[in-house]
Amino acid sequence: MATVSLHGLTKKFTGMAAVDDLRLEIKDGEFVSLLGPSGCGKTTTLRLVAGFLQPDAGEIRVNDKIISSASTLIPPERRNMSMIFQSYAIWPHMTVFQNVAYGLKFKKLSRQEADQKVVKLLRVVHLENLKDRYPGELSGGQQQRVALARALVVEPHILLLDEPLSNLDANLREEMRFEIRRLHEEFGITTIYVTHDQAEAMVTSDRIVVLNKGRMVQVGTPSEIFDQPRTRFVAEFIGKTNILSGQLQDGNAVSLATDLQIRVAQGPHSTASGEKFVCIRPHNFLLTADESEARALASKGFNLFSGVLERRIYFGDSVDYTVTLALPPVSLRVVTPPSRQFDKGQRVFALAHPEQCVLVSND
Amino acid sequence: MPVWIGVTVFLVFLMLFPLWSIFRASLWDESGFSLGRYLEVFTNPVFLKAIWNTVVISFWVGVISVVIGALLAWLVTRTDLPWKKPIRALVMASFVTPPFLGAFAWTLLAGPNAGALNKLYRFITGSEDALFNVFTMPGLIFVMALYSFPYVFSMVANVCELISSDLEDAAEILGANKWQTAWTVTMPLALPALIGGFILAFLHSLSLFGAPAILGLPAGIHTITTQIWALFQYPPRLDIAAAFSVPLLLATMVLIAVQKKILGRRGFSTVGGKGGQKRLIRFGWARVPVLLLVLGILSLSVFLPYWILLKAALSSAWAMPLTWDNFTLKNFSFAFFEYGDTQRAIYNTFKLGILTATIGTLVATLIAYITNRNLFRGARYLTFFALAPLVIPGIVLAVGLFIAYTRPPLVLYGTIWILFVAYLTKEMPIGFSQAESTFKSIHPELEDASRIIGANRLLSLKDVTVPLARSGLIAAWSFIFIGVIRELSASILLFAPASKVVSVVIFDLKEEGQVGVISVLGILLLAASFAVILAVQWFAGRDVVATRE
Repeated sequence: MATVSLHGLTKKFTGMAAVDDLRLEIKDGEFVSLLGPSGCGKTTTLRLVAGFLQPDAGEIRVNDKIISSASTLIPPERRNMSMIFQSYAIWPHMTVFQNVAYGLKFKKLSRQEADQKVVKLLRVVHLENLKDRYPGELSGGQQQRVALARALVVEPHILLLDEPLSNLDANLREEMRFEIRRLHEEFGITTIYVTHDQAEAMVTSDRIVVLNKGRMVQVGTPSEIFDQPRTRFVAEFIGKTNILSGQLQDGNAVSLATDLQIRVAQGPHSTASGEKFVCIRPHNFLLTADESEARALASKGFNLFSGVLERRIYFGDSVDYTVTLALPPVSLRVVTPPSRQFDKGQRVFALAHPEQCVLVSND
Repeated sequence: MPVWIGVTVFLVFLMLFPLWSIFRASLWDESGFSLGRYLEVFTNPVFLKAIWNTVVISFWVGVISVVIGALLAWLVTRTDLPWKKPIRALVMASFVTPPFLGAFAWTLLAGPNAGALNKLYRFITGSEDALFNVFTMPGLIFVMALYSFPYVFSMVANVCELISSDLEDAAEILGANKWQTAWTVTMPLALPALIGGFILAFLHSLSLFGAPAILGLPAGIHTITTQIWALFQYPPRLDIAAAFSVPLLLATMVLIAVQKKILGRRGFSTVGGKGGQKRLIRFGWARVPVLLLVLGILSLSVFLPYWILLKAALSSAWAMPLTWDNFTLKNFSFAFFEYGDTQRAIYNTFKLGILTATIGTLVATLIAYITNRNLFRGARYLTFFALAPLVIPGIVLAVGLFIAYTRPPLVLYGTIWILFVAYLTKEMPIGFSQAESTFKSIHPELEDASRIIGANRLLSLKDVTVPLARSGLIAAWSFIFIGVIRELSASILLFAPASKVVSVVIFDLKEEGQVGVISVLGILLLAASFAVILAVQWFAGRDVVATRE
């Protein structure tokens, strides 16, 4: 049972801050993802929590006890944590069983108890038949499961995962996402998960921390991060998006061109006027070729964009259109269900509800 | 098709004929089948003593090589020691230095009377005694270890580069402290390489002839190889030499098999994919002392021997200080222009080097191509034949070739061609494994693309595959060339007066005490080796040191 808090955590490499003034409270049993592009400092943060690195400033507390600061560093082996590495770090000279049993050597357990725990966990990750194999004889997904079992068998207070799925192929990756979430629900261990894959973070996490250039950009539940991005970076990094620029008129109207004004949701950036950015997700548009239907929706408060359908890509479960507006001369990306389809060159109307037009800052 | 079959038959014949000759000569004579020769080998105390000496020497050479080689490999791969590239280059230099030349240099450095280090010791302490005597068992072991440790170095360095720090971190986060991690994770992972390296160093010293002959014989220490050589002196006892070769051959085979088994299932295959990174251990203030220790070790195998060879080559009296009065170039002019034996030997050595390297690369390329593309049923068994000489010590090979080619139908003895056959056989494994790994990295589809538009197999090989394989094949050529010009243990049994090579002349001149001329020839061999290595690195643009298997 453990809470983790980071207070002004900072780590520099050759003068450059890899992690800059991170502040975060993680609740007991919570699953938190650190999400960001490569070089954003997420792995450094994880290694700071694990104790492989010492912070230059700030501190890390577990259950309010300082475990890392510029002056104290409890070594990794005394932190009651487990970690899953990007390379899995399965020991090639030990069998599956020996790999999983290794961490129990440092607990005060009888041989029999330890063996029982190992067998039980191997069953949980569906590896009981492969326990005498060497890692070199396993597939990538099986190695991944060994790494999971090895980390969980010691019943850590905190589990750390460093891009654990990045070496798997797409199908397996999807399967393992659910597996990781399932195991989290089964064991309820406080978990920090590092990834650059937004879908992974969405599926697994209770909360997501978006990092960029060593700084925290936004923290929130997956739906908050997706539906109410605070910055242009978050909006573009997580999912597909349209970003439109314009002048903020009053509280919630933005003018994109001389005769195109749209209403936006109330947000943290709706106060100061000036150049602003509006994020609209492609699937939040309604698309129609029927002008009277479009006018009717516009009178109910929907923002109306009219344009010409430039490109159409059929995906089976959805259709991805590019609509070129006359004014301002920009292209919108619109994704609709395949039930209503339109043709290239057709004049169409895209409608978006103000609640789904989100103001974001330019960071 | 005929090309493939021809090469295959040639290779199989090349490997089997000398081995068959050894067994035949050791078991049959005019009077028929007899085990008497084996009985003599295993009861005669002289032979038993030689076997025992060989085992003792090789064991200690193995141990010392593991200590030095593993230490240097660890320092170069896992710590922040400065000057790593020069250190690797110096290890390579130890590897390239012919052990007989190193042994000779050490007689000048640590001979009991005139040895330079002993003179320095007397000068400093005023004592009358010698500090070192290289003509002893420990002296012999020490010098042989200096030229065997690079085998351990390359094996352990490879493994250290494969072990990612994640593997150690994983143990720490699960509760193991630094010692437990080292003991349960790092050591077991490195162990196969340590044992494998020990066996390689052991085998290397088992097969050496020059060093034990130069350092052991004056002290009356015989090893198996010097004993086999002695059996070739007048009156020759070829049958006994053949019988005496068999235990050496079997021991080598068994050790290679053991090594393969150790490196087997668990191996040190990397598991998982990318992301495995290595963090270097920081020495801090200790960097300089550790660097000095490393340079100290390498000065024993490189700096001191090279320095004394250079000094001896440039002075009239090698034991005197190198002053203007003592300075001379006459050793060079004597070796290159006046003395017929050395001139012919230099010519022979380079002729054989170029010839063997060229034909060897060609044959190895074709064989590797056949096995790699599996051109006919059972083609992969050719690998076995191409690698077979690995288990045949040079002197044993020479015994076999001597017996095989001194009688009809093929009389090669007395010409340089018997040396050519010996070198070709001995260097085949190196050429083959180079060519093999090169072809493995070239996708067959590249060649298929050429064939589908009309080129036949041989033409595709020439136009597509060989150009792609160029740098790998140049490396194979250079390995064979360097291996040939330094060869002594087979040459010493197979040369005839007209077919002497440089290594044999050095060995002969040793008897006459021609220190200056020997040094000149030694420097020539070293210079040629380094020139080839540098030329390859420059032409092929790659690190030959790193690709050595």
